Amino acid sequence: MTTTLVDATDQAELAILNLHKKFMSESRPPEALLPLNEAALQRFELLKFPHRKHEMYTFVNTKELVSTVFSLPPETPVSKDFIKSHIFPECESSYLVIADGVFRDDLSDYSAIKSAINLVPIEEAVAQSEIKEYMADTIEKENDVFASINTAFLSRGTMIDVPRKQQVETPLQILHVSTGSTSGKVTSHPRILVRLGEMAELKMIVKYVGAQGNYFVNSVMDLLVGEQAGITYVQVQEDAMDAWHFSKTRVVQGQNSRVSAFNAFFGNQLTRHHFEAHLKDVGVELKLNSVSVLTDQEQVHNFVRIHHEAPHGTSAQVFKNIVSGKSRSSIDGTVIVNQGAQQTNSDQLINNLMLSDNAHADTKPNLMIFADDVKCTHGATVGQLDEDQLFYLKTRGLIEKVAKELLTKSFAESIIQTIEFPGVVEYLENNLLKKLEA
Amino acid sequence: MLEVKDLRAGFDGTEIIKGISLSVKAGEVHAIMGPNGSGKSTLAKVLVGHPSYEVMGGEVTFNGENLLEMDPEQRALKGLFMGFQYPVEIPGVNNAEFLRMAYNAKRVNEGKEEIDPLDFDDILVEKMEMLSMEKKYRERNLNEGFSGGEKKKNEILQMAILEPKLAVLDETDSGLDIDAMRVVADGVNRLRNENNALILITHYQRLLEYIKPDYVHVLSHGIIVKSGEKDLALELEARGYDWLAPTN
Repeated sequence: MTTTLVDATDQAELAILNLHKKFMSESRPPEALLPLNEAALQRFELLKFPHRKHEMYTFVNTKELVSTVFSLPPETPVSKDFIKSHIFPECESSYLVIADGVFRDDLSDYSAIKSAINLVPIEEAVAQSEIKEYMADTIEKENDVFASINTAFLSRGTMIDVPRKQQVETPLQILHVSTGSTSGKVTSHPRILVRLGEMAELKMIVKYVGAQGNYFVNSVMDLLVGEQAGITYVQVQEDAMDAWHFSKTRVVQGQNSRVSAFNAFFGNQLTRHHFEAHLKDVGVELKLNSVSVLTDQEQVHNFVRIHHEAPHGTSAQVFKNIVSGKSRSSIDGTVIVNQGAQQTNSDQLINNLMLSDNAHADTKPNLMIFADDVKCTHGATVGQLDEDQLFYLKTRGLIEKVAKELLTKSFAESIIQTIEFPGVVEYLENNLLKKLEA
Repeated sequence: MLEVKDLRAGFDGTEIIKGISLSVKAGEVHAIMGPNGSGKSTLAKVLVGHPSYEVMGGEVTFNGENLLEMDPEQRALKGLFMGFQYPVEIPGVNNAEFLRMAYNAKRVNEGKEEIDPLDFDDILVEKMEMLSMEKKYRERNLNEGFSGGEKKKNEILQMAILEPKLAVLDETDSGLDIDAMRVVADGVNRLRNENNALILITHYQRLLEYIKPDYVHVLSHGIIVKSGEKDLALELEARGYDWLAPTN
C-alpha cells in the first residue's frame, strides 16, 4: 500500500517537473525571474506533495488534484461583458484584470486611481533589493508546497505599489479570471504583490472567477505593509464548480500598521486558502474575518498561521461556516506568540452551523505562546440553529421554514455586515446567501 | 377568550403546574403573581407553546379553539402574544426588517397584502415614539446589545405592531427602572381596548400600580391558591406570599 502511495506521489511530482520544463520553453519567464523559478522548484522538490498525514493538509484530500495532469492555459479571449459583470460598483474605474495570472491592461480600467498607485511588473520589482530579498527569503522559508509551485511558475506577476503617505480612497478591485478549458485541465499561477509605503492606505477587493471550468488556480498574494500603513481588503472566491482553487495570502506588517482582511467563500469541488501573517514590529493590528456557505459536495479549507513577532500586537479572527448537503469545511488555525511579543492580544472564534447530518466541519484552533504577558483566547462551536431563537421567531408568527431561513442567513449576515464595501455586502447577500434558499 | 381548565404541565417529566383553571374575557386584565418557582413562567411558556414544556393534562381553548394542538406560530397568528422575560438576541437580523416580517406574516394570514418597507416605516416610527424608543433601534440587530430596558421596550413594540388579542407579559417589569416602567406601562395601557385582553405575570406589585388589573391570581407550587380583585395585590405587597402557601 505504502509503496503505491509513494509511487503515485512521485509520478505527480514528475508531472509538475515536466510541466515546468514546458513552462520554461513556452511561457519564457523574464530573465530576472529565472533564479526565483529555479529556487522555488528546488523547494518544491524538497517539500514534495503532501501525503495524507501532512500537518498542513490534515483535512484536505489532494489525491485527485495531484494525480491530475495539467497543461498550461492557452491564450483564451475574455469578453468585456464578462469582466463588467464581475466588477463591484465601487470599482467601476479602478479594477485590474488578471487572466490566468497575466495582467491584462486591455481589459482593465484603473483610471480613477492611476496617479495614486504604481503598477510594476514583478520582473522589474525584483530589481529593488527589498523585493528581491523578500522573494528569496520567502522561497527559502516556504513550507506550503503549492505556494512553492506558484513561484516556480512565476512569470507575469504584478506589484501594486502604493507610495509613502499615499491614501487611495477609491477601492481597487483585482479580478482574477481563470479562462479554463473545454478539453483537458489547465493550471495557472497568479501572483500579486502589494506594497504599502509608510502611512499609505489602500482598500482592495479581490475576486476569483472562472470563465469556464476544468482548471486549477494556484494563487499567491503578498501584502507588505509599511509603518503606520493600513489596508482593508475582501477576497471573494467564486470559481467554477469543477475547479480547484488554492490561494495563499502572505502578510508582513511593519510598525503600527493595520490589516483588515475578509475572505468570502462560495466553495467548489476543492478550495483551500492559506493565510500567513507576520506581525513583525510593535503595535500591529490584524483582523481576519471569514464566511463560507457550502452546499452539495462543496469544500472549503482554511489554513491560518498568525505569527506575533513583536510586542503590543493585536490579532482578531472570526470564522463563520455554514455547511449543508455533503459539504465539508475545515479551519486549521494557529496563533504563534513569539518570546518577545509581550502584551499580545489575540482572539480567534470559529463558528460552524451544520444544516445536515452528512455535512462535515473540522476545526483545529491552536495557540502556541512563548511569552508570559499576553491575552489570547480561542473558541470553536459546531452546532445547529439555536432553539430559543427559533422559538422566539415562531412566537411572532413566522412559520418554521421562514424562521429557519432567517436564522441561517443571520448567522452569515452577522459577519458579512462587517465588510466596509456596500457593493460587496449587497453582492454576498444576494448571491452567497441565496445558496441557502431551497 | 382564553379558557384554561385543570391544566397540568411540566418540564423533563416533572410536573410544575398542577391543575390550573383560568378564564380570561375580552377587555380584561389578569395579573398572575407568585413567588419564584411557583410556576408563573411555566404557565406563560405552555400557553405560547414552548417545545421544551410538556402538557400533562387539562385543556386550553383560545376563542373556542384548542390552543394546545397549535404550533407556536399558529398561536401567534391567531392573536396570542408573549412578551418574554429574557428576549433572545439575534445577531444578523435587522430589527426593522424582522418587525416587518412579523407584521406581514400576520397580514398575509388575514388575507391582506404585504406592506413595503417604506409604508411600514411610518407605522414603526409612530409606535417607537409611543414607547420613547430612539430611532437607532430600527437599524440595530434584533435585541443585540440592547440594554435590559430596551429589550423590554422592544417586546412591547412588537406587541404594539402585532396588536394581539391576548398578550401574556412575562415579568415585563423586571430590569426596568421606574421611568422606563412608566413608559412601558403607558404603552401597554394605550394598546388596551374592549376587544383584547392581557395577562401580566409579575413577582412584584409595582407594575400593577401602572397597569390596573381586573383580577389577581396568586400562584404557589403550581396551583392558584387565591384569586381576587386588584386589592389582593396590595395585600400581597403588605403580607408577602407565605400566608397563602398551600397547606399540604
